[in-house]
Amino acid sequence: MQIKTLRRWNNVLHRDIGYLCIGMTLIYSISGIVLNHFKSGDFQHPDYGKSYSDLKVPLPKDGKADLTYVYSVLDQVKEKDHYKSFITGDGYVQIFLTRGYVYVDLNTGEAEMERKTTRYGIKEMNLLHYNNLKKLYTWFSDLYAVGLILVSITGLFVLRGRNGILGRGAWLTAIGIILPALFLLFYT
Amino acid sequence: MTKKLVPLLIVILFALVSCNLGTKGTADTINNDTTLLAVLTFDKQADSCIDKPVIIEGTVLHLCKHGGKRMFLVDGTDSIRIEVTAGPKIIKFDDALVGSRVRVYGTLKEERIDAKYLNEWEAEVVKPEENHSVGIHTGAKGHEDQGVQEKLDQINGMREDLRNSGKDHLSFFSIEADNFIDLK
Repeated sequence: MQIKTLRRWNNVLHRDIGYLCIGMTLIYSISGIVLNHFKSGDFQHPDYGKSYSDLKVPLPKDGKADLTYVYSVLDQVKEKDHYKSFITGDGYVQIFLTRGYVYVDLNTGEAEMERKTTRYGIKEMNLLHYNNLKKLYTWFSDLYAVGLILVSITGLFVLRGRNGILGRGAWLTAIGIILPALFLLFYT
Repeated sequence: MTKKLVPLLIVILFALVSCNLGTKGTADTINNDTTLLAVLTFDKQADSCIDKPVIIEGTVLHLCKHGGKRMFLVDGTDSIRIEVTAGPKIIKFDDALVGSRVRVYGTLKEERIDAKYLNEWEAEVVKPEENHSVGIHTGAKGHEDQGVQEKLDQINGMREDLRNSGKDHLSFFSIEADNFIDLK
């Protein structure tokens, strides 16, 4: 087979597999950024945005954190409509809301309120990224990974000349391989 | 026409997935040998139910944020926390379950911790990189953000418990969930 024909097939494969891979590439890269920062400690949770605020609430009159007291706290923070349940522990009560909680220190009256918002779309992408689904999805994601390998390899031979793999392309490819290797070298 | 329909279909598909992706379970048929457990009496009942089907109800106190494969149930107070792990049929435990009352259908599992395990765990903890899969999960507030010293204290505490127990191992019980229902 002539080089010209080989290159034409290479470019066709690169183009079409690239089109097929774009959905999964976006899913893995967007959720990858989120999981990367979650792992680094920048996010409290990969699927939910969580924010915290400190507040002061009155202590229970008889020292007992019962449902009446819980409702009085929720009245103060205007979250009565979102009440789910509460538990008591050693010196504290934790009130669960549909989107967060209020944690009250029963010795000081200091409280922490968590509010959480669902990251719709990203939550589903994280589910795919973690492969929580397993079953057939394991094979599908393997197939995608093979497709990505093919896109990478065929990508090396798309262009000819000084921008191709024998010119500028070689330098850029080398940089792309050396950079992660350097991280391994210096950080492990 | 097709050119206009394809992006529209993609958007509709994602919207449907986002709206419908839930983790609510439905109960399977219950076997006659299934034991009904209670959170507050769990420690007394667990010994006799190892590797047997069980049902337990409780309030979700905490969920493992790394993949949602583990949750802890309490009942009114946090003094007793029951660890529930997601079995193969469960995709994940969603963080929205925190504070909800759930009924879990599963199998009771025992994990035995002996001196060898504690030594291996200690070796893992002192390594620079954290390995979340090794060690005992307590479900206590902030347990996932424990530092090295706190983990070493936990290991030494278990060594003492092991010595005091007069046995060659400590038993930790958990439930591997096949299914669960959010009772609200």
